[in-house]
Amino acid sequence: MKELQQLKHLYWRAGFGFSIKEFKALQKFNIYETVDLLINNAKQYQVLESETTISNLSMAEIKAIKKDKSKLKELRKKSKRLVRKLNTDWVLRMANPNRSALLERMSLFWHNHFACESKTSHLALNQLNTIRQNCLGNFRSFVKAIARDPSMIRYLNNQQNVKGKPNENFARELMELFTIGRGFYTEQDVKEAARAFTGWSSTVKGTFIFRKNQHDFGTKTFMGKTGRFDGDDIIDIILNRKETATFISRKIYKYFVNEEVITSELNEMADILYAADYDLEKLMTHVFKSDWFYAKRNIGTKIKSPIEFMAGLIRSLEITFNNKMGILFMERALGQTLFHPPNVAGWPGGKAWIDNSTLMLRLNLVNLLYQNTVIKYELEDEAERQSFKGFKKFNGIVELSRIVDTYNDQNKQEITKGLMDFFLLTNTSNKEKPLESSVLTKDNQSIIKEMTFKILSLPEYQLC
Amino acid sequence: MKRRTFLLKSALASGSLYAPAFLKSFKTKLESSRSGKNLIVIQLSGGNDGLNTIIPFRDDLYYKMRPFIGLKKDKLIDLNGNLGFNKGLQAIKEIYDQGEMAIINNVGYPNPDRSHFRSMDIWQTGSASNEYLSTGWIGRYLDNDCHGCESNTHALEIDNNLSLAMKGIEESGFAVSNPTQLKKNTNNEFLKAVAKMDHDHEHENVAYLYKTLIDTQESADYLHRKVKNHKSSSSFPNTKFGKKLKTVSELMTSDTDTKIYYVSLSGFDTHAFQMGKQERLLQQYAEAVKALVSDLKKNNLFDDTLIMTFSEFGRRVKQNASKGTDHGTANVLFLMGGGLKKKGILNKGPNLSKLVDGDLQYTVDFRSIYATILDKWLGTNHSQILGHKFQGLDFV
Repeated sequence: MKELQQLKHLYWRAGFGFSIKEFKALQKFNIYETVDLLINNAKQYQVLESETTISNLSMAEIKAIKKDKSKLKELRKKSKRLVRKLNTDWVLRMANPNRSALLERMSLFWHNHFACESKTSHLALNQLNTIRQNCLGNFRSFVKAIARDPSMIRYLNNQQNVKGKPNENFARELMELFTIGRGFYTEQDVKEAARAFTGWSSTVKGTFIFRKNQHDFGTKTFMGKTGRFDGDDIIDIILNRKETATFISRKIYKYFVNEEVITSELNEMADILYAADYDLEKLMTHVFKSDWFYAKRNIGTKIKSPIEFMAGLIRSLEITFNNKMGILFMERALGQTLFHPPNVAGWPGGKAWIDNSTLMLRLNLVNLLYQNTVIKYELEDEAERQSFKGFKKFNGIVELSRIVDTYNDQNKQEITKGLMDFFLLTNTSNKEKPLESSVLTKDNQSIIKEMTFKILSLPEYQLC
Repeated sequence: MKRRTFLLKSALASGSLYAPAFLKSFKTKLESSRSGKNLIVIQLSGGNDGLNTIIPFRDDLYYKMRPFIGLKKDKLIDLNGNLGFNKGLQAIKEIYDQGEMAIINNVGYPNPDRSHFRSMDIWQTGSASNEYLSTGWIGRYLDNDCHGCESNTHALEIDNNLSLAMKGIEESGFAVSNPTQLKKNTNNEFLKAVAKMDHDHEHENVAYLYKTLIDTQESADYLHRKVKNHKSSSSFPNTKFGKKLKTVSELMTSDTDTKIYYVSLSGFDTHAFQMGKQERLLQQYAEAVKALVSDLKKNNLFDDTLIMTFSEFGRRVKQNASKGTDHGTANVLFLMGGGLKKKGILNKGPNLSKLVDGDLQYTVDFRSIYATILDKWLGTNHSQILGHKFQGLDFV
């Protein structure tokens, strides 16, 4: 039984929980084999393909569209719609038991780390593919790929970073947020690094281009070293410092293990990452196989992000959507829209997810699903409101039959215990009695339905 | 150890930290010390370019360093022959003309930080640039002056999330973007029963969730009751920010026990093609503020209201190659209200000939503005809240 609790923990942290079918299968697994299996599945990633707006157009066609205001407007509208589709498709992959949950979980982590707003569909798609390709690969190559990512280049104004007139935005965030963290570089280092990234730009069609005539080939002095550095040299210098391995390990620890860091465990991770020259697969395997990962202090103590919360809910209730825009709608209401982080530092996370209004929305969401209630939420602006017309229903169909079948032959007390074990990670035995007495229906099917809905409305369900 | 610190620490140790507000036994200190004053904080997020907000149009250096984005004299609103408003601020010119606005130039802090997040944290926590605090200046005011208050809504943020500025150790502000929606969301019998269920000896995050649930249920009833009968009569612009200020106005005019409001407007990070972008944002700001002020005046509330507008930093004096500006330092800050003792432009405009690393030097520490508001407007002792003593100013 103890191992089952560990596996549940692993499934929630390395993925998005489990369906009832997965839950039943879990009881036969062992931790080490499961970790290997999760990692191997995640490595079988596929390049995502999706319709985009301008990738297949010729330059002449693009130029013609840019001159025509109404066509341009139409193109932008279509692109926004396609970004929304990339978003909801992603959530549904997270929730799909037949896809690698770890791949999506790692991608979500890195999307928050290399936080970037992607406004057009081809840029969003390219970036997501870069993240999927590198999420368990080598962090050094990963940073270099992100520095060449057109969406990031535009988001952090590296398009405007040119010789003689550097724009420091990317160089600063590269160090402050993406690699080494504050305290290990100077303002002068920011200025010199910006020079090294001059000319790293992107084409109209959204591919990386090195513009030689905009690049500053001069000598730079960066972190005490002097040379004719380019962007890759800068990244190498930063990553050759152990502080970077510690910074990245801390971020991974806080996300996957616990917001309160235990220094010895962190140092263990940083040593491994640094010794393995930033091999992320090695690091994550080590974390998931460590005894300390399964310590009591880590289990069921993390507040789910809106995406984790929704993907988990969809996975366990086998929800299908008539209209997927309902997902996007909840993302906005709960404060986490994919491809649209609040700023380059990503979503703050932890208790910050929860304030009075977001908590009530979460606790009511299941209720909404059941009753198909119409919910209204203030949308960004008039244009978006228009495109949401008719989508106001969070229109999901919950498939409970497999859950009902699982517990149908049990008595009310056993049903309560069983469902709590399936949905919750923490020991909440003090809730069993009040829950039992709050459900008044007689037949087992109704008891299971009502009990499911009530357990999901408990604040404890917000934790993983 | 001071008694107050001791009490806070023992509350943390015993877990009573997350006791719901209505269980707190001692009666509010606030009732007796309430100053009767309102404070509205408006945050312009992203680093508003102060030099193109209040423009030093007599200064040749300004045009020299901003050959493209420098605003020409005929494109701005002259205030005193030296400084002028960005055209986007047209709507609040009347407030300025009537002596209900004060402008403080060169507001900042020593060793300025050019990161959005860090500088915003410094402003929101009221810390020094080498000091890291996890509570906000308004949150600590609530801890100090509103500890054990019966009300959860003494400080309200009109947003989906609560800013660090509003978070204290024991007390925090309350975030609501729409009171009617909140009321609807709390109308659930089962959740009312859940709130009463036992949840002892669990992780602090569980305790936090229950406390939030209980406080929300209480406050939603209260706010909804207050706001449903008071619809604003002024016409607010149909923008997100306009709607936020409309909610503020409706709550204030319906005599809620909220005294502090926090509202933000974002998008000021103008690294490229700044001119149109900034003007549009300032216009959104000014038109909404104008409607709010007119509503408050109609309800005789403006004399007891102070509106402070700030941004986490100003921007680099020199324009960049993309017709925008990079992160800078000292900035301009606005105060508005019917009870201002000093009006107009309170100090000298920026000195463009004395830059440090291409950035303006601050002459007024933002914490001395906080100190003034805390002491003279909210009637408390600023050094308890800010942790240090600051020289107060005399605008109120």
